[in-house]
Amino acid sequence: MNEEIDEYDIYHQDFTTVSEWEVFVARIEEVLIDWRLSKSTMVKHSVENHAKKWFTKSEEISYQGQKFTLSYNYMNCKSKPESTEESSDKSLLVEIQDGLWEATTRFMDDSDESPFPVSNWFGLKQYLMLYPNVALVEGSLIKLVMSSLNIAFANVDCGVPLFVKIREHWQHTYLGFYEDNEYKISFDTIHLKRISNQCSHLTGLVGLFKSKIASPVALDAVVVSTKFSYELKDLDAFAWGQQTQSNEFLSIDGFDVKKLIELPFGCDKNPTKSVLLNAIWPKFRECTIVESSTFSDIDPLMAPTWTLTLKMRENINFQLSELIGKVMELLDNSYLLMDTLGLSKSLGLVNPLNKITEAPITISKLVKAAMGHGRHTSEFKGPISDELLMPLLYYIFPDAVEDGTHIYPPDLKMEFKQDGNGSKLCSYVKSSPEDCLVWRLSVTAAKLHDAGGLSYLAHLWYEFIQELQYRWEMQIPVPGIAEGTPNARTCLLHQKLQLLNCCIKRTIEGNVNTTGHSSEEEFFDCSEGEGAEEQPPWDRPVGRLHRLGEATLKNGAPLYVPRTQDPAPKTEDQLEEDAELMVRLGDDAKASELRARMMSASLLSDMEAFKAANPGAELCDFVRWYSPRDWKSDDGGALGERMLLPGNPWVEAWNVARPVPASRQRRLFDETREAEQILHFLRSRTVSGVAELLLPAIIRAGALRATQEGAIGSSASVGGVDARRTFEIAVRELYEAEKEACRMLCRRKVLGGGEEGQALDAAERARVLRAAGGVLPAVARREFTLRVRDATAPQLMRAALADDITIVGAFTERIVCL
Amino acid sequence: MDSTSCKIMNTIDEEVMTGEAKWQKDAADQNFDYMFKLLIIGNSSVGKTSFLFRYADDSFTSAFVSTVGIDFKVKTVFRHDKRVKLQIWDTAGQERYRTITTAYYRGAMGFILMYDITNEESFNSVQDWVTQIKTYSWDNAQVILVGNKCDMEEERVVSAERGRQLADQLGVEFYETSAKENINVKAVFERLVDIICDKMSESLDSEPAMLAGGARGQRLTEQPQGSNNPNCNC
Repeated sequence: MNEEIDEYDIYHQDFTTVSEWEVFVARIEEVLIDWRLSKSTMVKHSVENHAKKWFTKSEEISYQGQKFTLSYNYMNCKSKPESTEESSDKSLLVEIQDGLWEATTRFMDDSDESPFPVSNWFGLKQYLMLYPNVALVEGSLIKLVMSSLNIAFANVDCGVPLFVKIREHWQHTYLGFYEDNEYKISFDTIHLKRISNQCSHLTGLVGLFKSKIASPVALDAVVVSTKFSYELKDLDAFAWGQQTQSNEFLSIDGFDVKKLIELPFGCDKNPTKSVLLNAIWPKFRECTIVESSTFSDIDPLMAPTWTLTLKMRENINFQLSELIGKVMELLDNSYLLMDTLGLSKSLGLVNPLNKITEAPITISKLVKAAMGHGRHTSEFKGPISDELLMPLLYYIFPDAVEDGTHIYPPDLKMEFKQDGNGSKLCSYVKSSPEDCLVWRLSVTAAKLHDAGGLSYLAHLWYEFIQELQYRWEMQIPVPGIAEGTPNARTCLLHQKLQLLNCCIKRTIEGNVNTTGHSSEEEFFDCSEGEGAEEQPPWDRPVGRLHRLGEATLKNGAPLYVPRTQDPAPKTEDQLEEDAELMVRLGDDAKASELRARMMSASLLSDMEAFKAANPGAELCDFVRWYSPRDWKSDDGGALGERMLLPGNPWVEAWNVARPVPASRQRRLFDETREAEQILHFLRSRTVSGVAELLLPAIIRAGALRATQEGAIGSSASVGGVDARRTFEIAVRELYEAEKEACRMLCRRKVLGGGEEGQALDAAERARVLRAAGGVLPAVARREFTLRVRDATAPQLMRAALADDITIVGAFTERIVCL
Repeated sequence: MDSTSCKIMNTIDEEVMTGEAKWQKDAADQNFDYMFKLLIIGNSSVGKTSFLFRYADDSFTSAFVSTVGIDFKVKTVFRHDKRVKLQIWDTAGQERYRTITTAYYRGAMGFILMYDITNEESFNSVQDWVTQIKTYSWDNAQVILVGNKCDMEEERVVSAERGRQLADQLGVEFYETSAKENINVKAVFERLVDIICDKMSESLDSEPAMLAGGARGQRLTEQPQGSNNPNCNC
């Protein structure tokens, strides 16, 4: 920008006094040239019919302190980059004229999704729009702007019709034009709040149309199409049968858990505001039907075509979106969730140093229930009554009760990546297996939050963690969680629970080992090893897994693969932390070395296990198993070049490694520490933190619900965006899906399976007429399209009459008289 | 009908772009517009570390210490007036390191999957590595297949044709490179950055509209000035 101004100064300042108006014109020209819209430089556009989508480019322009936005709106087209096909003057004009003619098959209140209605009125595939920020009302200013545009248009030899928005912003009034060497098309709009007598009927409009054309030769008959719309407001006939859900489950005894945990969907009341019945006469000559101030031929019952359009209510509440929206709001709340219950202090969350050592003594509800009500512990009493809470907890932890009503599906697996076909709604939100514990917890939490507010959510969360704590202490795995180590393709809460299960499992195994056959193990290994005949006890091989093929150590003994410790399972936030730590070290050689050392814990452990399993082994033997490409067969085994480099972390680690079998090594994975950390992590979340943990499953469960209701996924993939933003996108998509599903339901109810805007057959016409009570109400809106092809070009005028009247016209005149 | 809605959409699109970098942006280092995390993977001793050093430091040493676990280097490049910071992670190829290294796949936007043209086994493992990527990475992570050590023609056992065929079959791009002779090293990284940029603008385009108001934002591919290079739009 600055550069441009400098240049400008140099070239212009000294010679002329440029008026503000000239600058305005020049600026418009500049923008048009920038967008390559002059007829000679325009890229040939070929609009594909299937996916019509509008795009917009825009620039700010100011004139006399008034700001304008000049925008170029065009339908998506495959613009072949360097297609040399010349878009001649003629083809552009013909395209516009064809569009005009074609536009008459649609009506003015149709929408083509473009930002302004002009494209629909006049059948334009592209147009420029100058939109003033403050309404252009004053006549002289409008004229001035129009002339400026005329000049700019001519100077650039622009190839796209140019419009200005005039009058008040709420009025859809636009002036526009298009011009080439021979013809000029003017696009006019008139909007009147009251309908003048002449324009109130077809005959008058035809007269007006003819006078506008002012043709010296006799015209063909004007071709008219018209649409009369009747608004049917009493919709009882189209019975609305959506059941509404209430929160009554909170007070009743003997409620149904299923009902309580089901996500609501759709809108609570009839979203249809009214139904428009359109009686359409697609095409007739001006004299065949008469409608004048005194007489009318028009009888809607005789119209060749009837269609229905639905008018939806504004501001309808969509139940699912509302429910999720309430959870989304929590993302802005950065207080500790346990504060809501006033528990932060007793849980040791306020001072992080207190930690869990003096942990809460309150015990899990489920345990208490199992033990009967005999014991009285001074226990925390939350806002949710036990009668409600218990069934919910049994639903989330179904293994705590023996009736087996809500057991989890046996094989909880994340479906593998979508195999290309059919993207699912919101599938980019990482979640957990369908109907697993995380889903149940999340959906229940959302419903409780919806019904009872944040304290209900907090209470459930509290009880949930109490139960986890109990399960950790008693070594009972958490149900409804996928097997194995944390799966990075699932949401964080699921990963945390997977990790907790890993801890629990590890403890169980550990207990078995110490009580069971810890000493046995060594003998077992020993007897299996064939070469272990006369080894002294300190050199007895320990912790062998199996032989590595026929491989031998350098000293000739068979090479055994040792039992090893698995690397510590980690959740994605821990991995991110690790990565961040490594990144923070920088990327120079020293940092690199430090990283290698950080990473070598598991290398060292493997080396020690190897040494224990293969007494007398050398580094080259280890390498033969571990990194075979760095092993050379010369001389019974030798190290490859890379392993001989000085300062080699492999050599260093080998030198300090002692022969210790994996079973006696320091654990790489400290399950007690990990488990306590997980519990503390969950307990010390802020409100927004908990919402973030719960939202993935809520959204995906909602998406599943929407899909069951017939919604279709649209988006492909959203990646590389932070969590919150992903939620926002997903929630938006769900909202659209829910809205669309409601619309579809209305359509089904009202249209009986037909499409909106589709012509009704005789039976449907009878049905609608019956629903309307046999008689149509007074006409709500009338629309006429008048068109004629004269010697020059197609001429077009359209009028829409309701309480007010809008008349638009496109008239072509010859500039050069022959 | 509001013409400002298109403006709003533009700023939102920008927000997405910066959001991309935001979560990885180091507070101390704001000297870039975007950051891409890339990973080099492949069997042990196919030349991953050498490849990275050639690109990042323009140096070559015939042997590097076998990578322990995972390491990284940073390089900032310019693509269309934008500073793109590349955080390139170099991984250990040994089987035992799989669990450790795959943990870092998450969040990587691009992968350089490398084999050694003088080593059949490393070529045969490519399919395995692809499976690893599919299992552990983001859905729209981009992959380039690279056959390294193409200077060692006399020891070649994997023909360029086979490499290309495999790449076609996997639906990824393919290069033969030499870190030693500096052949195609830069090209691979530049191409990967370009593909990632393309993919980003694509996924922005298909993202559901965030605000009410009909107009969609500009695509990244449509720079008002008419971009000269249709390949990169970042």
